[in-house]
Amino acid sequence: MPRDSYCTTTPTAPPATDAMSSRTDGARRRRRAAPGIASLDRLGGLAFRMLFDAPFKSLGTLVGVVISVFLMAQQASTLLGILGRVTSFVDASGVDIWVTSLATESTDATGSLPASTVAAAAGTFGVAWAAPIVQGLGKVTRPDGVQENVKVLGVEPPRYAGLPRALSAGTTPQSLRGSGRIFLNWVDRPTFAAAEPGDRIEINGRAGVVSGFFLGVNPHNPFYYVFANIDDARALTDFPQDRVTYVAVGAGTGQQLADVKARLEQRLPGALVKTTPELHEMEKRFFLVRTPVGVLFGLGTAIAALIGAAIVAVTLYSTAVDRARDYGTLKAIGATQRDILQLLLFQAWIFFAAGYLLGMLAFGFVRFCFSELAMAVTPSLVVGVALAAFLSCTLASLVAVRRVLLLDPAIVFRA
Amino acid sequence: MTNPTVQPPVLEGRGIGEVFGRGDLAVRALHPTDIEVRRGEVLVIVGPSGSGKTTLLSILGLVLSPTEGEVIVDGRSVAAATRDELAMLRRTGMGFVFQQFNLLPSLSAVENVAVPLLLDGVPRRERLGRAARALDLVGMADKYDVVPRRLSGGQQQRVAIARALVNDAPVLLCDEPTASLDGTTGRGVLTVLRDLASTANRAIIVVTHDDRVLPIADRIVHVIDGRVDSVASNNPFKDKTC
Repeated sequence: MPRDSYCTTTPTAPPATDAMSSRTDGARRRRRAAPGIASLDRLGGLAFRMLFDAPFKSLGTLVGVVISVFLMAQQASTLLGILGRVTSFVDASGVDIWVTSLATESTDATGSLPASTVAAAAGTFGVAWAAPIVQGLGKVTRPDGVQENVKVLGVEPPRYAGLPRALSAGTTPQSLRGSGRIFLNWVDRPTFAAAEPGDRIEINGRAGVVSGFFLGVNPHNPFYYVFANIDDARALTDFPQDRVTYVAVGAGTGQQLADVKARLEQRLPGALVKTTPELHEMEKRFFLVRTPVGVLFGLGTAIAALIGAAIVAVTLYSTAVDRARDYGTLKAIGATQRDILQLLLFQAWIFFAAGYLLGMLAFGFVRFCFSELAMAVTPSLVVGVALAAFLSCTLASLVAVRRVLLLDPAIVFRA
Repeated sequence: MTNPTVQPPVLEGRGIGEVFGRGDLAVRALHPTDIEVRRGEVLVIVGPSGSGKTTLLSILGLVLSPTEGEVIVDGRSVAAATRDELAMLRRTGMGFVFQQFNLLPSLSAVENVAVPLLLDGVPRRERLGRAARALDLVGMADKYDVVPRRLSGGQQQRVAIARALVNDAPVLLCDEPTASLDGTTGRGVLTVLRDLASTANRAIIVVTHDDRVLPIADRIVHVIDGRVDSVASNNPFKDKTC
């Protein structure tokens, strides 16, 4: 008489009176019904407790993940912080649309336009106002005699378009009225011996009188930023009278920026027209392409993730080797391959969760203590680091998973 | 007490053999062998080191697939079962007692005993209750929360036996259960195993080279050089002092 068989391809049902078979099928039903969260409830606790079988290795793994998360967050946030500074001049301006030369690659690499472009822009439908901005370069002399590069930005009264919206207490745009008046960046004040209004600063051998300070521009380039009346800026930097660097445009009330931009592009085919967010992106792209900063910090972030993955991989694998008999025992007493996979993945995710929490706390603490450093935290950074750490821990655990899945449960019968 | 001889085999090996390696490197660990065990019976497999008795136990315990023959569990062949199906059969149908105890060091005694139930998805309260009852059965009622490193060898082995019992498996497979124990402790463990067969109607297979085990055997299988040399159905040592 042919026997029944335990086989996936054999549809024969076990006899109802078969106690052992009934138990097995009951267990199968339970397992089939078990959703993922039930598996966490079932094996999550065991996974956690098994970490204490090798406490020092587990601690080492956790420290590795914490360091990795900290480094990823620090590197990525520094890059974001620097990028935020790179675009701070554009972001602080309050301009809706920028018109500039087609040759312009960023505010650090600009061409110029005929001054008549201002009138042409102002006459475009949907434009409420248009104002010229000139950007000249020069050398500023510090109180200690050292000369450094300076960007002199000339803005036109009465609108002073392009001037940062945030000014220090006591400074108004009208403070630029009068010949030779300049606004210094508040963050540069210490370099200029705690300059006060009325102090004189030499730019290209000509004197400028400090009449106020602007805020919110914290550039990450080797230039000081100085704002002046447009005529003074031209005089200080020998900027041609018939040229402008930018035309700042304000859209009329109720006008869509995209529509106004399209009209300006049609009206000024020889000019580059960008909204402030577009110029912001252009600035970032230029900075990332033209400087090694993006590569360095990107590489730093990737290396941090790799370090974390390597530490988790090595320690989990090492623990799996050390605890081979325990895993063999679990297999022998009925853990399926899926159980083992879940067990090891849960362990990796425990390291991820604890490591991420502690790593971000450490990063938050350092950021709090060194608030002057260019470190920006955005929701995308928080999520991105979490995702990178999660993937790093998960992928790293697969080395140990493979080792344990291939483990022969018969190992438990060897003394 | 049930008479083992009138019950159908709960576990059988039919022509089971094992060859490790291939070609010139092939080593025959077990020649084709027929073997069976019934509920209420203690089957003791004896033989010198390297004789193939652990290979035989591994095959019967479904942790090693035979290269020849088939294992039959409750009348059904497991030859075509997948790895996970075999794991499920071990989980629900078999209990294991190992020479090295193999308890998870970070779990308490009661948690160790509950592991098979945890794998089976039994709710926490129920599994801890059943684990506690299994510990009671092996005389470890006062050691629920003690971790293995704080238990003696004999106590650890009792916990291991409780773990093997907790899922009410009809078959217990014991690999050298007394090898790591002193005489008194070993006798205590053997008494537990004997009682399980007679009162709990379990089929118990014990692999050993320890003569102290022989008095609890209903049948003794001698394995030498990978062959079953003899099967003693009438154990001359039966019921003598362990």
